[in-house]
Amino acid sequence: MSPAAAPAGSSRAALRDPVLAPAVLLLWAAVALFVLYPVSRLLVLTFWDGGPTLAAVRELVTSWQHRRALGNSLLLAALVASTGTVLGFAFALLAVRAGLPRAVVGILDAVVLLPLISPPFTAAIALIFALGPRGLISYHVFGIASLNIYGLGGTLLSETITYFPIAYLTLKAVIANIDPNLEDGAFSLGARRGRVFRTVTVPLAAPGLANSFLLLSAASLADFATPLILGGTKFPVLPTQAFLQITGLYDMRGGAALSFLLLVPALAVFVAQRWWTERRSVVTVTGKSGAATSVKSLSPGAVALLALVCLATGLLVLTFYALIVVASMVRALGADNHLSMAHYAHVFGGGLKAIRDTLVIAAICMPVGGLFAVVLGFVVARTRFPGRRALEFAAMINYALPGTIVGIAYLVAFNDPPLALTGTAFILVVCYVFRYSLAGTRATTALLAQIDPSIEEASASLGARRDVTFRRVVLPLIRPALLAGMTVLFIRAMTAISATIFLVSLSWSLVTVRILEGITNLELGQASAFSVLVILLVYAAVALASVAMRWLPGGQLGRAGSLLGG
Amino acid sequence: MSGGAGARLRLVSVSKRFVRAEHGAAAVADVSLTVEPGELLTLLGPSGCGKTTTLRMVAGFERPDTGQVLIDDQDVTGLMVYRRSIGFVFQNYALFPHLTVFENVAYGLRVQRLSEAVVRERVGRVLALVGLPGYERRFPNQLSGGEQQRVAVARAVVVEPRLLLFDEPLSNLDAKLRVQMREELSRLQRQLGITTVYVTHDQEEAMAISDRIAVMQAGRVAQVGTARDLYRAPRSVFVAQFIGRVNLLPARVVRAGPGAATVALWRREVTVPADGAGAIGADVSLVLRPESVGLLAAGAAPPAGEIAVDGVVRSRTFLGEKVEYTVEVDGASLLTVAYDPLRHGLFESGARVQVTCAPASLRLLTEA
Amino acid sequence: MSTILLLVASLLLAAPAWGADALNVYTAWPESLSQPIFKAYSAQTGVPINFIRLSTGELVARATAEKNNPRADVIWGAPGDGFAAAKAAGIIEPYRPPTAEKVPAELKDPEGYYTAVSRNTLLFMSNAKLLKEKGLKPPTSWNDLLDPAYKGQIQTADARTSGTALTRILSIYYAFGRDEEKAMEYQKKLHQNVQVYTKSGGGCTIPTAMGQAMVCIAHMPDAMEAKKKGYDMLTTFPREGVAAVIEGVALVKGAKNRDAAIRFIDWTFTKTMQDLLDKNEVYMLPTLPGGSINPAVQALMKEAKLLPVDLDWVGKNRKRLVDRWVNEVIKE
Repeated sequence: MSPAAAPAGSSRAALRDPVLAPAVLLLWAAVALFVLYPVSRLLVLTFWDGGPTLAAVRELVTSWQHRRALGNSLLLAALVASTGTVLGFAFALLAVRAGLPRAVVGILDAVVLLPLISPPFTAAIALIFALGPRGLISYHVFGIASLNIYGLGGTLLSETITYFPIAYLTLKAVIANIDPNLEDGAFSLGARRGRVFRTVTVPLAAPGLANSFLLLSAASLADFATPLILGGTKFPVLPTQAFLQITGLYDMRGGAALSFLLLVPALAVFVAQRWWTERRSVVTVTGKSGAATSVKSLSPGAVALLALVCLATGLLVLTFYALIVVASMVRALGADNHLSMAHYAHVFGGGLKAIRDTLVIAAICMPVGGLFAVVLGFVVARTRFPGRRALEFAAMINYALPGTIVGIAYLVAFNDPPLALTGTAFILVVCYVFRYSLAGTRATTALLAQIDPSIEEASASLGARRDVTFRRVVLPLIRPALLAGMTVLFIRAMTAISATIFLVSLSWSLVTVRILEGITNLELGQASAFSVLVILLVYAAVALASVAMRWLPGGQLGRAGSLLGG
Repeated sequence: MSGGAGARLRLVSVSKRFVRAEHGAAAVADVSLTVEPGELLTLLGPSGCGKTTTLRMVAGFERPDTGQVLIDDQDVTGLMVYRRSIGFVFQNYALFPHLTVFENVAYGLRVQRLSEAVVRERVGRVLALVGLPGYERRFPNQLSGGEQQRVAVARAVVVEPRLLLFDEPLSNLDAKLRVQMREELSRLQRQLGITTVYVTHDQEEAMAISDRIAVMQAGRVAQVGTARDLYRAPRSVFVAQFIGRVNLLPARVVRAGPGAATVALWRREVTVPADGAGAIGADVSLVLRPESVGLLAAGAAPPAGEIAVDGVVRSRTFLGEKVEYTVEVDGASLLTVAYDPLRHGLFESGARVQVTCAPASLRLLTEA
Repeated sequence: MSTILLLVASLLLAAPAWGADALNVYTAWPESLSQPIFKAYSAQTGVPINFIRLSTGELVARATAEKNNPRADVIWGAPGDGFAAAKAAGIIEPYRPPTAEKVPAELKDPEGYYTAVSRNTLLFMSNAKLLKEKGLKPPTSWNDLLDPAYKGQIQTADARTSGTALTRILSIYYAFGRDEEKAMEYQKKLHQNVQVYTKSGGGCTIPTAMGQAMVCIAHMPDAMEAKKKGYDMLTTFPREGVAAVIEGVALVKGAKNRDAAIRFIDWTFTKTMQDLLDKNEVYMLPTLPGGSINPAVQALMKEAKLLPVDLDWVGKNRKRLVDRWVNEVIKE
């Protein structure tokens, strides 16, 4: 009789479980300390000065720069979300519906994955090289002399390129799940291709389109690095302003208040996205994938158009990365194009500490964060522990917030004794674990939904305590989720910057911060070399994880890269 | 295999209500049962009657709101599952997909940290017992349904539990396999002598293997007894209809006496067996099993002592060893079954017949 | 249970800064300039140096945030206005190195909070090719930059993050005879020609070198770096003058390795270190008299009209000047 996913036992029984209760307590303690406490310190800093005060916020709203920044952030988010979703939709249609050979789709996937796994401002640097004034493409190829990429235009282009892969991955899954029989049914009723696309395909894809719109809005709202490089003074945005307020004007309170201003839209978008995905039932198909039957809803003309758009975008992406690679191997791109390995020599010489530090941090994050994610997923999905929904939500907060806010909050909360953690590896690990475990938790709950709870009951009936059951039965079966979570943590640990820029110290430095420094010090060759190294490492990790995933039983989670989307 | 057998199970006024139940009614209401040592008691009933919930409360997967669960007079109501020494066989077997057959069966023994030699010996013995010697290295996804079933049983039995609990273990098998497996399970249980509670909705299965059956309806126990008792003397319409097939004839009490009553049926008075017939003039039902109904050609003399009434055959279903007729009698429809029809002859649809039965085969139920 | 062990292990692994006997330094100098100097010190004394490079603004902000629990022992290599801000924020303590006695008084804080390590200044760096194309002569006056020919062709630093920007603002202020309103007027006009404000002071050098802009207003060392890399650049000074910048060193208040810090600061004013400014091609002037001077730098500085700066006044008015820049100059 056991229904597929109903958790066993009652909440009272869960409370009495000698293993479950302490585990949940530990989870709550961790979440309270490293998620709720820093954010509350931030709020206190903003809204309390002897007594409750709105002074800091008022100061903000009266400043033209900050008002402009708020408007710009929202505008940019909306634009990036729109263009990114459209682009991602085009790519997804091409990949799933155009009947391309698998090898070609594989290449498409690989190219689209590039922006997701590189340091966030790689696109910005490449854009300056390529399309800036005297840019290698805009000037040397097309002869346009005064293209101004600083400001909204450049930032929009760069962020679209950086984030459209998220839309692609989301929409690919959604389109693949649309039952082609539905479209065939429409055809059989006399509808033509255009009508079928408009009245069947798009409405069925609508939840995915909305979801990706929200995801991209969130990503753009939180993006700190791209606008820092391309926004300039003409186009301020909130995360960059918050950063500058603190690091440039030594104004912690102002920075905190700005973060709060950013927090509101960011949280709103996040909640909307979660609500949306939980309410909408995804169109499921009984086992058949959309690619299996021949699909007729795209005319050859449409396919050609899509192919053109995707080809152009793909070439642009590849060019950007090619530029980075070339820049890393010549002495000074644009001025002195002699081949030189000096930059790599520096990366592995003076830069070795940063590489080692970053890898050590990533290596610690992976098991800690991976296990945390899995245990949390298990508690939420499989037990009836009271307050588990609240725990799930609290654990997600650091993910929902833009990195700048988390970084500032940690700086405020953990700088003074008794919790003087700034400057240690511990705080970096904690920051990553609580920001990026969500993917692992989601993968765990998804996988658990496919595993009948009667298996755990069987283990209990054979005398095994909860933790024994978890270790011997659950963990082996959710290994793919653990692996996925660890892979995402590794990728994020290698490419994150917006939170951790506030947390690097004398003892622990990170490669992404070195890249940003390189850019600001115009050591572009070095920055490119570091970037290339990061991209290679992350690519290797993703490839390894994908292969491992295929080996593991129950590895239906698909490519690890797809988890970066959510 | 020795030991573990012979625990007595007692349920005392056990109730459970599910918080999120759609109907608001209790899943299990005031159930009291005793299962004797070595006995196989089946909880039988339609889906939603509370039999699985009751079983899960015995196992410890659910906790009763009120009442107690006692194993050998030890109150285990609040004890966690893994401390109860039970063996549970699930409807979908719940084999660990990532472990071999050997490791699946050995699981409970490993939890007890028994030595490798002991584990190997016991697993080998129990696999032979369930008829799967040599299957140690296979994985569950390489086994057929019946084989998985056996591994699940082996796993539950090898730990020598005090109680063996089965939750509709055969419902995922095809009909022929089901019959074969239930015989094996029955034989195994008798051999091991472990007190067993078995849940099923299939009354034939229940009758075939149980020492006693508890028929459940809407969370309560309707009647407990041996298969024979339940078939011969159902105490409610529900039980009568649930066990076997039945004709319910409306009648009215004319006279009542100890162990018997006279009722008005088919425009005559008949004396039938009854315990507690109820008031004179009360409307009652008479239980008449299809196989107790005889059919004769119109005009033929009925056997001595049997009552006869005219009827018309409305439909006929020939099923090989038996033929079923629906016969219209006095405005109502009767189901009859006749065995070895090729020897005894068949009636046509529409034929006029005489319907006969012995008064002793009519059982009185006070429900109308 | 093994999970708990793992967590404990990672906790221990992450224990705060190992190498407590190492010296912790915050510097605003580019790594390529500071690292060789720190290495030389370590080679000579065996004391390892942990440092981070931050822009001036970030540096002061971080040190201020860490006031109650300072991580750094020394702030070494940042423009004078940064030290003025640090002094005002109460994060440095006075220390007069005995070796710095011979350093001229105007290069030291009167109360001894900081001492100049080297002298620096601002200049105009121009892309020779572009100028030739447009038939322009390199700019030799602040007012030259207002020429419409330079529209969208000037890059310079953002005052919210870069010390170089403050040098620019101060240079303009002093060049206009301390008339703040005239200086603001000028900056608003200059803004019309600016293509982008870069995060760090030297951030405009490479783009200008690559031809993305014609003129870059930057500190001398940054410009010379670009020239050293082989880009075809011209350097000029405005005849009205530029602010004299000092790059200083100071002891952090509450430094954990106070003794090691003091020894390092003392070493800064030895001939060995000061000579490194020439030897390593740092392109700044030493402050200790008698130090060897790079001929290229000397030639450059000869051209410049250096305007003296009142650092205490700067410390008190820095925020106001930057705020005015944010609210009046870059507002569109």
